[in-house]
Amino acid sequence: MSRDANNLLHGTLDLLVLKAVAGEPMHGFGISKWIEQRTRNELEIVDSALYKSLHRLEDAGAIDAEWGLTENNRRARYYSLTARGRQMLRVEVATWKRYVTAVSAVIEPA
Amino acid sequence: MRRRFSKVPRGVRRLFRLPLTRERIVRDLDEEMRTHLAMRVDDLRAAGVSEDDANAEARRRFGDHDAFRDYANRRAAKIARRAGIRASLSAWWQDVHFANRQFRRAPAFTALAVLTLALGIGANAAIFSVVHRLLLDPLPYPDGNRIVMLAATRGERMDSPSAATVRAIRARTHSLEAVAAASVQATMVQTDDDQDTVYAVATPNYLKMLGVAPALGRMFTQTEARDGARVAVISYGRWQREFSGRARAIGSTVEINYLQAKDSERRRYTVVGVAPPSMALPMAPAAFNHNLHDAKPGVWLPLDLDGLNGAFPPNSYARLRPGVSVEQATKEIQGIVASSPELGAKRPTIKLMRAQDLLDGSEARMIEVLFAAVGVLLLISCANVANLLMSRAWTRRREFAVRAALGAGRSRLARQVLTESVLLAVAGGLLGIAVAWVTLRVIIALRPPALANLDGVHVETTVLLWSAAISVLTGILFGTLPALFAARGAVADVLRSETRGGSGGLATRRVRSALIVFEIALSLVLLVGAGLLVRSYIAMQRIPLGFEPRGMVSFDLIFNPSTSRDLSVRTALRNEIVDRLRAVPGVTDAAIGILPAAGLGDVTTLSTDPDPTGATRSVPEFSTIFAGSNYFRVAGIRLTEGRVPDSLAVPAQPQVPREVVINQALATRFWPDGSALNAHMHEQQDDPRSRREYIVVGVAEDVHVPGASRLARAAVLYQTPRFLSFIVRTATPDAPLVPALRAAMTSVQPAPFVQTTTIGEAFLRDSLAPTRFAMALLVAFAAVALTLATVGLYGVISYGVMQRTREIGVRVALGADPTAVARLVIGSGLRLVIMGVGIGAAGSLVATRALSGMLFGVSDGDPTTFGGITLVVTAVSLLASYVPARRALRIDPAEALRAD
Repeated sequence: MSRDANNLLHGTLDLLVLKAVAGEPMHGFGISKWIEQRTRNELEIVDSALYKSLHRLEDAGAIDAEWGLTENNRRARYYSLTARGRQMLRVEVATWKRYVTAVSAVIEPA
Repeated sequence: MRRRFSKVPRGVRRLFRLPLTRERIVRDLDEEMRTHLAMRVDDLRAAGVSEDDANAEARRRFGDHDAFRDYANRRAAKIARRAGIRASLSAWWQDVHFANRQFRRAPAFTALAVLTLALGIGANAAIFSVVHRLLLDPLPYPDGNRIVMLAATRGERMDSPSAATVRAIRARTHSLEAVAAASVQATMVQTDDDQDTVYAVATPNYLKMLGVAPALGRMFTQTEARDGARVAVISYGRWQREFSGRARAIGSTVEINYLQAKDSERRRYTVVGVAPPSMALPMAPAAFNHNLHDAKPGVWLPLDLDGLNGAFPPNSYARLRPGVSVEQATKEIQGIVASSPELGAKRPTIKLMRAQDLLDGSEARMIEVLFAAVGVLLLISCANVANLLMSRAWTRRREFAVRAALGAGRSRLARQVLTESVLLAVAGGLLGIAVAWVTLRVIIALRPPALANLDGVHVETTVLLWSAAISVLTGILFGTLPALFAARGAVADVLRSETRGGSGGLATRRVRSALIVFEIALSLVLLVGAGLLVRSYIAMQRIPLGFEPRGMVSFDLIFNPSTSRDLSVRTALRNEIVDRLRAVPGVTDAAIGILPAAGLGDVTTLSTDPDPTGATRSVPEFSTIFAGSNYFRVAGIRLTEGRVPDSLAVPAQPQVPREVVINQALATRFWPDGSALNAHMHEQQDDPRSRREYIVVGVAEDVHVPGASRLARAAVLYQTPRFLSFIVRTATPDAPLVPALRAAMTSVQPAPFVQTTTIGEAFLRDSLAPTRFAMALLVAFAAVALTLATVGLYGVISYGVMQRTREIGVRVALGADPTAVARLVIGSGLRLVIMGVGIGAAGSLVATRALSGMLFGVSDGDPTTFGGITLVVTAVSLLASYVPARRALRIDPAEALRAD
């Protein structure tokens, strides 16, 4: 199943991005690649939507960005989670889990 | 994923204030996207996709490129805007912070500047509040300038319109609202233990027309007015006097002697409300000439306009609807009257007069003078602060030069100075509000009785905004001048030469000297004005009044309505009252007549009979008073010529002239060349039958009461059924005798009613009050102005000494005579003083002409005042230079040469 990430709710994409940068600072392409690998290519993110999500999170103070160099010596912006972002991630994950449980309870008869 | 971060540590960009421009943000985003695409292509190629397919796939995966570019531009603009605001905010905050530090480092300068500004702004705001009230909105009612009075004119005569006319207007007008009526009733008087009170009637909507609410309780209702209910509203003053302002006044009763034509009846009225302090009869013009126009009613009773048909209609008032002009309303009302045939054939022309125009305008000029004076004071304080800021800017040239050398832009430095000035102005403005409040309280405490409606004045919001605007504007003004000079200094020059203290930039010094000259000149103008007023006040107290008010009491009474109209009865009653007054212990003498110079008596037109060439002279506004034959002796008025008339009796034949005494002013005016004795005059009346003939038998000295009307007067000794006034001369202090005198007068039958009591000394004091008020304020302003100018001069001179410390040190080291050094310093001050005094004296000659109407016994170019003030200003200014000169003499050459 391949789904256009534009159809993903903003909140969902933001959650994925937060999770992606929770480990170590990552550049945009790295995040995109990371999500693909983790979802085993089930979700394909539209890159422009990813950057908008990054900007949104940056403006909200959830992530920080800095210029760095890739292993191929390319200049890229690396995004990392701030303390505030870490807290936001916890809340979002909990919300998402409650949401999934609720929806599952409806569509999967007990 | 290993990576290396760029070496610029976080926060450095902010530290160095590297600009986060819009272009840069877009460029960064572009670069990020290019890298992203490149990495995507690499990734795909690594998975074995052909180069072309990889490029196409990367672009597909990115999404809509153009939409993203738009988005990027929008975002960049937003970020840049925010960063810009944040940067200017922080820069401004930095300026404020820095300014604050500077102020704390120079507390004397700061205090001086703030105080100077506060004085100028505060005094200005207070006076402006007063002027606003007295000139622009003089009635103490909301939108008082919309209150109009209705007058019926027939030719020259002006009267209150009939109730029927007012009813017709009320029914049909669209330009007036709250048509109300009120009047003082001379026939309704109550005898209290000591004080008779005048009563007034008013329609229930009278308070609504004035736009004020009762202080307590309520106004009458329409039903009460229609049914003639015995209800009353008492005046605020009476409430305070009798009930100490307590609520139990409501429901109490007042007793009134209700005087009918033949007898009197005591009626009891229930108090339903207390009038606000401002409830009064808006003054009627002099033409309405009933003596009660300035009476203060103690009790108000209901008046029903619908049930009114009397021959003496009350005064009618109304409010113009918002946006309607007097002219428009007048036109509408004249139309209404013209189309109301039920009002009869001889309908008058109705005119509307703004109630505020009926006020006495004699105080207006005084207020204008004060306003001008306070404006001058503000100018002086502005000049002083400008001066202070400029000398600061000069002192700080090195600081500015260092900061400029370290890369601060000129605009940045100028902004710094501007921030400091605005901060000073704001602080001065805030303190100024306090000064305004205090000044206003002082003005109200000192106000003459004529300015009674000042009591409600407070520093108004508009005035506060106005003074806030002044303080910010002056701040900007003061700021730009020094900033201009600060930014002009060439950095290298300053750092190289000024370290060794030269004697200051020529341009700066010139501007500052000009400011000082300007200040001295302005203070001189104020001082001369104040001096002239002081001298005329002294002159007023010294001039012969022409009569002796001390130890004199006068009374105006009203005949009891039951008194016979017969002339002989009334004459006998008058003589009896005089006899009873004389019998009171402590009384030296008593006479029939009014207090000299108080009131107008009858105002008529008087003309001389034709002289041999057929020419006549006439005085259009001429005041006659009715007096007894001993009047001049009791009043202490000297006869310069002739005698007092023999008889008070009116001659049987109208063509036989009555004997009269005229005053010197009239004699000089009618017969400048010869004696007035035995000359004939006549009183002109519309009706030829009422023409009165007079023959002059005596000339009396003029009576001067400062501030009182200067009409030419004649004491006409004739009998009249109308007036009932007495003057009494007492041997002891007069005020304690008043109750006994009143008792004596009201002991005759039928008892008259005492309307006004005037103590001669108080009358004199009150007549001097407006001058005293103007004088006190102007003297205070002038003193503040001189202080400010002196402080300014002191600042400039001592600053000059400071700058020339090294030069003076060298001179002293080379053996200069100490007096020469002192001369050098004082000389530099003296030059400014002489210029300032010269310009100020010339300016005063012009400016004091505005005062001439207020002066008495002194000309507006009075040499004594000019000379004295010039001396004072020069002496004080020299003192201001002397102190720094002494400091210059104490300069130790060795230290001066070592100092930076």
